[in-house]
Amino acid sequence: MAFVLIGLLGTRLKNGGGLWAVVAEGLALVWGLYVALSEMGAPLPYHDVSFVWFGLPNGTNFAMGTLVSPLGALMLLVVNGVGLLVVVYSLEYMGHEEGLPRYYAELMLFLTAMNALVLADNYLEFVLFWELVGVCSYLLIGFFWKKPEAAAAAKKAFLVTRVGDVMFFIGIFVFFTAFAGVVDPHAVLYPGTSCPGASVGGGLPWACAGFTFTTPNANSATTFLPAGIVAQNANPWLMGFGGVMILGGAVGKSAQFPLHPWLPDAMEGPTTVSALIHAATMVAAGIYLLAITAIFLGFTEITSLIILAIGGFTSFFAGTMGVVAPDIKRVIAYSTISQLGYMAMAVGASSLVSDVSGTFVGPGAAMFHLFTHAFFKALLFLAAGSVIHVVGTQDLFKMGGLRKYMPVTATTMLVGALALSGIPPFSGFFSKDDLLGLTYAAAQADAVAWPFFALALLAVFLTALYIFRLVFLAFSGDRYRGAPPSAPHPGAAGTHPPTDPHEPSWIMRGPLVILAALSVAAGFLPLLPAFRGLLPGLSWGLFGFTYTGSGWIFSTPDLVISAISLGLALLGLTTAWRLWGNGRVYALPAAGPLPRIHGVLLHRYYIDDAYDAFGRSVILGIARGFAWIDRYVIDGTIHGFEEVFSGISTRGRKLQTGLVSNYASWVILGLVVLVAFFLFVVPHLSGILGGG
Amino acid sequence: MIPFDDILAGSGILFAVGTFGVLTRRNFILLLISVEIIMNTAILNFIAFSAYAPGPSILGVTGQAVAVVLVGLAATEVAVGLAIVLALNRVRGSVDVAKAMDLKL
Repeated sequence: MAFVLIGLLGTRLKNGGGLWAVVAEGLALVWGLYVALSEMGAPLPYHDVSFVWFGLPNGTNFAMGTLVSPLGALMLLVVNGVGLLVVVYSLEYMGHEEGLPRYYAELMLFLTAMNALVLADNYLEFVLFWELVGVCSYLLIGFFWKKPEAAAAAKKAFLVTRVGDVMFFIGIFVFFTAFAGVVDPHAVLYPGTSCPGASVGGGLPWACAGFTFTTPNANSATTFLPAGIVAQNANPWLMGFGGVMILGGAVGKSAQFPLHPWLPDAMEGPTTVSALIHAATMVAAGIYLLAITAIFLGFTEITSLIILAIGGFTSFFAGTMGVVAPDIKRVIAYSTISQLGYMAMAVGASSLVSDVSGTFVGPGAAMFHLFTHAFFKALLFLAAGSVIHVVGTQDLFKMGGLRKYMPVTATTMLVGALALSGIPPFSGFFSKDDLLGLTYAAAQADAVAWPFFALALLAVFLTALYIFRLVFLAFSGDRYRGAPPSAPHPGAAGTHPPTDPHEPSWIMRGPLVILAALSVAAGFLPLLPAFRGLLPGLSWGLFGFTYTGSGWIFSTPDLVISAISLGLALLGLTTAWRLWGNGRVYALPAAGPLPRIHGVLLHRYYIDDAYDAFGRSVILGIARGFAWIDRYVIDGTIHGFEEVFSGISTRGRKLQTGLVSNYASWVILGLVVLVAFFLFVVPHLSGILGGG
Repeated sequence: MIPFDDILAGSGILFAVGTFGVLTRRNFILLLISVEIIMNTAILNFIAFSAYAPGPSILGVTGQAVAVVLVGLAATEVAVGLAIVLALNRVRGSVDVAKAMDLKL
């Protein structure tokens, strides 16, 4: 069913036109809703093997199949919901650009690949579409390919994620050998569901290969390690290594430290692309990967800790850079990195808790944050796009006072900012609260997690600081700081002269309003028991009261964490107001540590420069070494052969007199030699060899 | 009946004559004739061996059959050779192989 529909999308994209894209994406959303609703009704994986891709001699077959799981259904909602709104928004935002068929075709290809990625039933298929969304990301970042920065950013995004992808591949190989079978994480994540189609795909135990649970009940306190793995004597260290490698893939895709530098540069692409790919969907694929792999990642405590550490550190680290970035889109990009860090941290925390307590805690908290984040981050991006569209610059310091001119954009941006900073009742509060609580539990389970919990709390403050810096710089005050630019900003699509900023039409405002509504509503969705069924391990609550589905449980630590994070968020908000609110532009003191810190942050901790230097010195050195080897060893060998043979032939060609008689002499000579051989040598030989 | 050895000796002498011709002649036609002589020594050997072979007579018939085929082959060869001679004569105006040395660099 899924592939038929996605196939339909594939043919549609050849039409190129934006309206077709809207229609196709609308259909996809309807279908996604249908799938999600049916998953809510009964959270059973729907599994179907379309065809066998290729087989191995040992009997393992690789198939292309569809597996609809609850998490996948959630992702379908996110991808197609945001996708539809972005496509509609594009109708106006991209309206003035060249190469629109290319844009829509690439966008549709991306959405197709993303849908397929979410529905992949095994890692190999997953990787296939994983790479495909990577390619689409590359193409769309480089959409303004005439601009050298955009082309360079596209290349950077592709190459940096490639580092992660190589690790991902290694991880899959490790898993593959460790399990000697096909890895299907969905079957593990939703135990108690029998694996439909287990014998499909060449008569092999397909979806459940190697994974049988001792207790088919997720809620009972039982070891979460699948009995099948233990039976196969999987080496836990090998599994841990595989987990770290898989994590590498997620780190690359989700722009976690240290593979984060591509995401801010990816802002060279159209804002719509940033909203869809680099905020809501593709970068979240890394988190999705971690979530569906969570059960394996928890194999060794150290793996869980590494994930938690990377996530926690990234959330703080990206937040600091977001505070200084002058570019409106880059601020949001850093925020994305930071929020993705939260999600990774939550996955690590849930698997750490599982590890220590022995009870499997699902990655629901991370996925819930992914869900809410997709909406408010897409909202922020689209609102920023609307500002750029009208003002014609991305420089925050050239904006200001836009609230008057663009009330709808300002309001929706404010909603997004509130949701991002985690102010109740906006959705970000609930999801962030949840994952902070989870991290607290993880820190109690393993003390190493404490510093990262602290960093995550600090990141709450930073989040509110940078996002309200953006909001205040762009919208508050009475003064519009930007002079009408003589030339339109190269990165801005369809710029109008900024003499009279005004709201864009409802084609662009509509998606903003819808997303703002979703940003509020998404936080309350777990009140529906059916929705909670999609998110294993989620503990949704409000100020220490956790909703269990039937009643409320109170716990003091949760209340304290909620209070602290809310306090930090409000502190960030007020700090931002004091520094940048009401038209103020905070000027750095000329001396002291602040300007220096500011410089370091502006240069992104010199990490990009360090990578560049590394590339220039080490990699280029290695490359020179190889060039030398190529020139003198490999080419040298070949040239040596050439010398030898040309020497032989220079002498040899003297034999070619061209006179037939001479050739004939050689023939006769050869004959004489042969005859002599057979007459005199062969009898002796046969005598020696004892033959007849 | 002629002794078997004599036939072989005759065949050997013919072969030597042919070889001598191939090595010394410059005239293409004479070269061809020499090659034909060498060929005929081989045919002669086939017939001699088949005639004197012990065992069932089918072997003798086989040798003679090969000889007939070889005669046909020789005729074809001469046809091709003469065609080359004609072409060479047309281009060079002579049939001296020493004048056709284009293969030399």
